[in-house]
Amino acid sequence: MIIGRDLTRIYGMGAVQVRALNGVSVKIQKGEFVGIMGPSGSGKSTLLHMFGLLDRPTSGSILIDGSDVGTLDERARTQFRLRRLGYVFQDYALVPELTAKENVYLPSMTRGMTAQECTLACSDILTLVGLGDRIHHLPGQMSGGEQQRVAIARALVNRPTLLLADEPCANLDSQNSRIILDLFQRLNRDLHQTIVMVSHEEWHKRYFDRIISMKDGVIEKEERRSEGGKPAPSP
Amino acid sequence: MFEESKVAFFLAKRSIVRGNKGTLSLTILIIGMVFVNLIFLPSIITGVAVLFNQQSIDYSYGNLVIEPKKNQVYINSVSELQKKLERIPGITGVSTRYVTSATIVYKGNVVTPALYAIKPGDEQSVLKIGTKVSSGSYLADGDTGHIVLGYRLAGNEDEKLDVISSLGGVDVGKVVDVTFNNGVTRQYRIKGIVTSNSYSVDSNAFITKKEYEDVFGLEDRANQILVRTRETGKENEMRNTLLSYGFQEKIWTWQEKSANFLNQIIGSFNIINLIGTAVSLVIAIVVIFIVIFINTVYRRKQIGILKAIGIDRSIIIKSYLFQALFIFAIGTIMGCAFLLMILQLLAANPIVFPGGPVAPVVDPALILRSTMSLLVVSLIAGYVPAWITTREDILTAIRG
Repeated sequence: MIIGRDLTRIYGMGAVQVRALNGVSVKIQKGEFVGIMGPSGSGKSTLLHMFGLLDRPTSGSILIDGSDVGTLDERARTQFRLRRLGYVFQDYALVPELTAKENVYLPSMTRGMTAQECTLACSDILTLVGLGDRIHHLPGQMSGGEQQRVAIARALVNRPTLLLADEPCANLDSQNSRIILDLFQRLNRDLHQTIVMVSHEEWHKRYFDRIISMKDGVIEKEERRSEGGKPAPSP
Repeated sequence: MFEESKVAFFLAKRSIVRGNKGTLSLTILIIGMVFVNLIFLPSIITGVAVLFNQQSIDYSYGNLVIEPKKNQVYINSVSELQKKLERIPGITGVSTRYVTSATIVYKGNVVTPALYAIKPGDEQSVLKIGTKVSSGSYLADGDTGHIVLGYRLAGNEDEKLDVISSLGGVDVGKVVDVTFNNGVTRQYRIKGIVTSNSYSVDSNAFITKKEYEDVFGLEDRANQILVRTRETGKENEMRNTLLSYGFQEKIWTWQEKSANFLNQIIGSFNIINLIGTAVSLVIAIVVIFIVIFINTVYRRKQIGILKAIGIDRSIIIKSYLFQALFIFAIGTIMGCAFLLMILQLLAANPIVFPGGPVAPVVDPALILRSTMSLLVVSLIAGYVPAWITTREDILTAIRG
């Protein structure tokens, strides 16, 4: 379970200060697929960065599976990101000199897995994302959708507690976006992977179990979706 | 630690194998050239030192020089001393001689060179001047009325070609007037011209000891005794041996006699070399720094992403260190290959210095020192830019 308590994030020094998050409290249950939505500047990416340990809140605390990640030093945060979190970026962010397999291999290798274990894990995960036949291709030889699927495989290879996706379909056409979202949904349903994804596309809503809508650094509303993407009746 | 290095090596290897080959090749080429520069000039300087040292032994001093005791002009009873010296194990040649100055005149050209009065047979057991006769022949033991001149002293008809004051192109068979410092003037026929490439030989004149003693009314004396030993490099031990045999004259090693001249040359060369080395190392550090810095700045976002997915900063820094090490290693190997080619080229076409052809002497300690300094420079130039770039906050790096 991920718990964010009274999170604030203030950017800027002196007179000009921007409150990107203004006292946000949120709970994400294990196995949930949560969408964070809202207009630009609403604080959705900032919240995702907090969960991804890429940024520190100005105040408030974050607990991931009972660990107060705010107390960790930089090296421990890096280890936490490696072992417990998976991150998918908007622009794939693959290492251009590494093949699909090698990009996926990298986090496992850093964890200290043997070459055999890494290869096995890579092959499994790349097959899972539908790229079993593209493992030796460099990012430059793949389409945007394929690169994003490699990025998802890289995020998943260490079996993370939480998969974070920051507008993963922003650079993709609708067909590739659908492939990615279907993949997320499959990972969530079949593997019970907890996913938190930032998006501003209305049609993405039907993939989420729950939608957190943000505006001006606060949660404007939370909406639970039923199977099929319809708003669920209030409990 | 080992796991980190393994990942860093993996990233570095892929970056080298699949990265920009043009930039990499040029960088390696520059490091190779820097390595050549670090080795080449010092090896030439060492070559010059070896040449001058050998010339000092072969044409000026032998291994040891014995000179009169303090406040004495001559060494007396030199025949007896010579015999005594020749019996000492390790001594292969002894030459007793007078060194003086004289005024030589030919067709209005007046020069005042050093004049060596020698016993030609003995002299050839110590020095190699007798093998360097370029015209005519060398002095013989019984010669009187003959003189041998160095080719610089003989000079050229066109005085513009002369390096020192000369006799204006005098040749073998011509007669010159020699005025000794006791005022006696005699005429000598030129028996030979020597061209040894040793400045002290080519600028001076030689007559027999017999002739000199006749002019000055001396007998069985000398003001210099040259000693040749079997082994070079053990002059101090041989000096101690001579002292133990009861020699009371001043005994110099060839190093002491030639130290001032050689030290001045080598000292000047070393200043040039120091500047060259410093410039080379600065070039190396700047080139590697720029290449790695541009590389890291260009990949700033990628570095941010790597940190975001849990790749520790130290792994990223190490990967750039490995790349710098690769550039250093291949650059050094390439530099060695260049150096071998240059050495072979110089063996076939040596650089000719005023003292003669110089062969570069590559000292293993010099190679080690240059390699180590290049290694240190490469590591610094790889580490600093990687450290600067990876220090950046993850989100700032990702946002570019």
